[in-house]
Amino acid sequence: MNAAENITPKKLAELGVTEPDQVATLFAQVRARFDDESTRVHGEESWKLFRDAWLGRKSGVLTQITDNWLKPAGPGLKPAVGAALNQLRAHVEPKIEALHAAIDSGGDAAASPRDRVDLSLPGVIRPVGSRHLIRQVFQEIEDIFFSIGFSVAEGPEIETSYYNFEALNIPEFHPVRDDMDTFYIDVPSSAGQQSNTSMLLRTHTSPVQIRTMEKTKPPVRVIVPGKVYRRDNPDATHSFMFHQIEGLAVDSDITFCDFTGTIEYFVKQFFGSGVKTRFRPSYFPFTEPSVEFDASCIFCNGTGSNSSGTTCSKCKGSGWIELFGAGMVDPAVYGFVNYDPKKVSGFAFGIGIDRLAMLKYGIDDIQAFFQNDVRFLKQFP
Amino acid sequence: MKALYSWLQDFVTVSAPPDELASRLALSGTNIGGVENGPQGAVFDAEVTSNRPDCLSHYGIAREVGAIYKLALKQILPKPAESAAKIADAIKVEIRSPELCGRFTARVIRGVKIQPSPAWLKNRLEACGVASINNVVDISNYVMLELGHPLHTFDYDKIRDHSIVVRGANSRASGGNNADGERIKTLDGVERQLDPGTCVICDGDGSRIVGIGGIMGGAETEISFSTKNVLIECAWFDPIAIRRATRSLKLHTEASTRFARGADPEMAELASRRCAELILQLAGGELLAGVVDVYPAKHAPKKIQVTRAELLRVMGADVPDKEIESILGALGFAPVRVDENRGAAGSILAAWECTQPSWRAEVSREIDLIEEIVRIYGLDKFPPRLPASRQGAARLPHYEAEMRLRERLIGLGYREVVTIPHVAEERDALFRPADVVPASLANPLSEEAGILRSTGTVTMIGALEWNLNHGQRNARLFEIGHHYRLNGSKPVETRVLTLGATGAARDKNLYEPARDYSFADLKGDLDNLGALAGGLRWQEAATEYLNAARRGALFLKAEPLGVAGQLSRRVAERLKFRQDVYLAEINLGPFYCSYYGVKNSRRYQPIPRFPAVERDFSLMLSDGTHFSDVVKAISSLNIPDVASVEAADLFRGKNIPAGKYSLLIKITLQPRSATLTDAQINEVSARIMSTLEKELGAQLRTA
Ligand SMILES: [Zn+2]
Repeated sequence: MNAAENITPKKLAELGVTEPDQVATLFAQVRARFDDESTRVHGEESWKLFRDAWLGRKSGVLTQITDNWLKPAGPGLKPAVGAALNQLRAHVEPKIEALHAAIDSGGDAAASPRDRVDLSLPGVIRPVGSRHLIRQVFQEIEDIFFSIGFSVAEGPEIETSYYNFEALNIPEFHPVRDDMDTFYIDVPSSAGQQSNTSMLLRTHTSPVQIRTMEKTKPPVRVIVPGKVYRRDNPDATHSFMFHQIEGLAVDSDITFCDFTGTIEYFVKQFFGSGVKTRFRPSYFPFTEPSVEFDASCIFCNGTGSNSSGTTCSKCKGSGWIELFGAGMVDPAVYGFVNYDPKKVSGFAFGIGIDRLAMLKYGIDDIQAFFQNDVRFLKQFP
Repeated sequence: MKALYSWLQDFVTVSAPPDELASRLALSGTNIGGVENGPQGAVFDAEVTSNRPDCLSHYGIAREVGAIYKLALKQILPKPAESAAKIADAIKVEIRSPELCGRFTARVIRGVKIQPSPAWLKNRLEACGVASINNVVDISNYVMLELGHPLHTFDYDKIRDHSIVVRGANSRASGGNNADGERIKTLDGVERQLDPGTCVICDGDGSRIVGIGGIMGGAETEISFSTKNVLIECAWFDPIAIRRATRSLKLHTEASTRFARGADPEMAELASRRCAELILQLAGGELLAGVVDVYPAKHAPKKIQVTRAELLRVMGADVPDKEIESILGALGFAPVRVDENRGAAGSILAAWECTQPSWRAEVSREIDLIEEIVRIYGLDKFPPRLPASRQGAARLPHYEAEMRLRERLIGLGYREVVTIPHVAEERDALFRPADVVPASLANPLSEEAGILRSTGTVTMIGALEWNLNHGQRNARLFEIGHHYRLNGSKPVETRVLTLGATGAARDKNLYEPARDYSFADLKGDLDNLGALAGGLRWQEAATEYLNAARRGALFLKAEPLGVAGQLSRRVAERLKFRQDVYLAEINLGPFYCSYYGVKNSRRYQPIPRFPAVERDFSLMLSDGTHFSDVVKAISSLNIPDVASVEAADLFRGKNIPAGKYSLLIKITLQPRSATLTDAQINEVSARIMSTLEKELGAQLRTA
């Protein structure tokens, strides 16, 4: 007889079994079929089918044997069939359990390719959003300064000329105003308005220095993230809106050494500890001494040339990249906020965020930040 | 300003190679943008800060080089031969507005020969980017580049009465019928109208203008190849007056830049003499004896003290006495020790009295002198250290709420955008509530960017528009930023969250079909965000730019928060959008406030010990009866065990009569003290059903 032939739906009589000694052969055939089928069980699904085929309560093989062979058997055959059935059950049940355990433990190394997942296929990708790159850089810088005791403050974007210029030691007709082309707000009832109360879009985050010192007695340590505006025609490196983080620290004992130490700490945290820093004297009306702060070029490691020997385009061969302006707070500024310039000292800096992000991520057009093309946004998850 | 290495060497014997010199200059305050090698040798592109007009000259930069390398600066001592005839007989000068013009010197040279300049002069000028014109004009430019002081040369014979009058321009032209103020045709051939008070150089009785003081000369008296006699003007003009004038004239020249930043009044006579010397040398002629020098602004030099104590207080590290003295000396401050410990080197009490040089008007305080010392000494000599903080740091008040909000938005699949708030008035008006006054710019760059956005929505539309126009059909965006409005004359900046979504909510993938973003997505996402602040309440809204069938107003308790919905067809067509766009804008102030309130009052709810039971009711309702009516009717029964009422399915059409719809609701009963019996459940179900029938005319549908 063929092992694969399904004999259990048939009655014993149909199979020609009339004597107890024929029973063993019959059950051996069933058992062989079980053993054969068990080798083809791979994975949870096929195991379930296999289990139901043998142990299913309504039409499993063991139920069929009970219904078709045992129950109708005459007294001559019944004991032999019953004993053989018990033997078969003792073989089938543990074996099915064992198969399941093997599948659970991943031990089914022999699982067929048909059942195995194709790991190169994607799963179900739920859409996930992202923070804007400018926000990411803000957050990173805020966290660095927060960790060394700087609080975070904000101020209005629509400012008065007083806070944006005068109180920062930039009187009207000061040459520096030429470098900060300013948007003015058209205020309806501005008749008789003083020039220092005229409304403008702040050209830097520095007005918040004044607003903070007006409200707080020293010691002061704040950073101010925000939008700033200059009336420049837009191109790849200019946007009439961009972002700054202002920093200010004033206390009874803050020196230039504390200032450079703080800036150096920040830059090493942001660009990596291998970056070298330098300070070049510069000029801003609200700091003195004023400096421009440079970091060694991260693209050529400060050598000024690429690995191929050509001039580094990022630093134009100098090995240095100009990062931002800063300095010790000019004593004249303290006069505007009722601080005693003989008793306090401090430093301030203004970091251009967009430029920093462009440098760090190699973005060559500042407009990309504000076009918000999803292909751009997706690149910075 | 362009500076020639070889020209600097006229004044200081520097031997450092140009690249090294450039870097030393940069590290001491004269940034060098680049070094180029031309036929005249190395040319530095000196980026001179606006406080250093003295460095807009070779002599000034040479002084810096001298201070850096401790090299002597050669003195300039021009000694042109003078004739017997006296200048005083040849020209009269009157300054009528000393507040505009603090000094005016005049020299006259007779019998010059105007001709092209010799090669060396042309070459130096051209290397500095100045075009050669003729020998006399070139010399005045040369002296300006050399000494930093602008000069002007007139054709002496064209000056009426040989008389110069310096005054402020009048508000109306004398005699003429032009009521708009005085005019002059300048050297560049342009007829210019002058603001009253602009400093003008006149001749004769003072009625004819022959030059705009410190900015540009007039065309009528300019040097030509037929000029025989030359008048050299070397004057000093008030910086602020020059700034006003250049601003109103929109005319910036090499001369005006130097005067506007503050030229050296003492240099005027010397530069005039140097100019005369060169003219005699290159154009011949005879120089009249002496100089006419009207100098109302002359004043004694200012004294400034600098102390080691202050240097230490500001800088945190010391500079040796010898360095302080050598640096200040080289820069022209003539330091003298004035403290009682004069003999003691390095004394903590050391103090120096300095004299302000006439070319450094901006150095007037102790801190200015400290900066002078340390920039030359070297900023790298001050050791960096990280100062300890004396107090805790605080985040912004809304930091945590905003972080949670942003986190959730990202989890919901929205990408953050940052937009520029400048928009066209017309575009802004599409989304602006009727009673809102926008903040307009007085001087916009263009009409397209004429006002600041009065809603977050208007620039969100811009971001969606960009993406749709660039083939990006699916976008789910958010922005946290301000909108700007005027309250009377007071600007108001309000922090808002704006959402914008269009295209697929889900792309087709291996396992699921595609699905378009719908109002339900927007509402569900907003409710997810609203959960942070205690839950949103939705009401019908009348927002015009939103589709009347799919829009809502959002509230936190009674407080209006914003609006949400689908962009109306009218606006979508106007913007040429060919797919549905969903928008929401909510005010973040109350949202954040509520976030903290909800967070602080949040308490643990014990997990129920008894199993909850769910019962479904399939209701037939009339159109216009809302789910909220169902919920309200059920809650009016005040059955304590009813834990929730959810809408599980909704359909219209087949088997449902017109004007009706079928709603499947799922009610969860959560007992507190014992498992519910079938009898209890049936009783509750019956009460619910009967009230729905009575209140809403609902019919129970049996499948
Ligand atoms: Zn580089």
